[in-house]
Amino acid sequence: MSALTKILIILLAFSSFFLCGIVVTYVATEDNYKEKYDSQRKRAQVAIADKNRAEKLLEERKNAYEQQEDKLNAKIALLVSEAKDIGNKLTSEQRTNANLLKSVSDMTSVVETSDQTAQLQTQLFKDAQAKLQLALAKQEKDQRELDELSKSLMQKMAIIDDLEIQKKRLAEEKVELQAKLANFLQPAGKVIVEPLLVTPKIGFAQPVDIRIRNIGTSDVGAGDVGTRDIGLHGLITDVKMKHSMAQISIGIAHGVKENMKFYVTRDSKFVCEIRIIDVDNEKSVGLLERVELEPRVGDTIATNL
Amino acid sequence: MNAAAQNRGGKIVAANNLYTAILALAFLVVAATAAFVAVKCHLQYGTIFTIPIP
Repeated sequence: MSALTKILIILLAFSSFFLCGIVVTYVATEDNYKEKYDSQRKRAQVAIADKNRAEKLLEERKNAYEQQEDKLNAKIALLVSEAKDIGNKLTSEQRTNANLLKSVSDMTSVVETSDQTAQLQTQLFKDAQAKLQLALAKQEKDQRELDELSKSLMQKMAIIDDLEIQKKRLAEEKVELQAKLANFLQPAGKVIVEPLLVTPKIGFAQPVDIRIRNIGTSDVGAGDVGTRDIGLHGLITDVKMKHSMAQISIGIAHGVKENMKFYVTRDSKFVCEIRIIDVDNEKSVGLLERVELEPRVGDTIATNL
Repeated sequence: MNAAAQNRGGKIVAANNLYTAILALAFLVVAATAAFVAVKCHLQYGTIFTIPIP
């Protein structure tokens, strides 16, 4: 074996050792690319799924965004219209405000005028109040006088009541006396003549003109209290001498009353008297008294001779 | 090459055993490396000579 062969064997052996060591080192320290590939593939699939999911979510969000955008556009349109309305209202309110400001300025002048008028009214009120005080004082004085007058009026009213009572009593006595006098005068063929009163009759609460007329018509002192003749005349229509009774031709219609006395005459001669005991409308019956001649039918009768 | 070694017994006889051992060792190292690479490829990619299809 030559030296060159030996050298080549040694070089080949060492180069083989060196190359094999490098290869082993490289292969031992090499990464597992298949695993890396698988992991990267899985990551890529997951990323694709995430992408799809994200795209789907994006689409949903996009749709929601579009819907929200539509709603917001509608709201914006509504708000724009409201803003226009508010602008119109604002314009009208501004006009109203201007008018009110003008009115305020006018009212200010009115208030100033009213203030002056109020001052004047206050002065007038003070004057009127002073006058009122005077009037109240006068009213108090008048009230005192009125109270005194009322008291005196009450006293006079009490006197008037007493006088009224006395007047009623006197009137009753008068009626009674007139009845007695009539009974006394009737047989004599006389009746009471009402005297004309000197004092006129004045009632309560009569007008003044009536009082004056009553006074004017009264005949002061024109008459006296007295009697007058009854003045009844008639004829005897039947005679019953047996019963001393006779019937005359006048009755109640002519004014004949019971107990009235008639004188019977014949040719200016006294015959007798007849006292009436029964009275009819057109005739009467009486008893014969003081008979001097026998009465006959046709004799004249009269209440007064 | 040594001519004396080639003629012994009609067989090829190593002229120097040392160099033969070195060659054998080199051969074993190369073979072990090839086996290691093959095993490693098979474990990692499932194949030895072809490109793995995902």
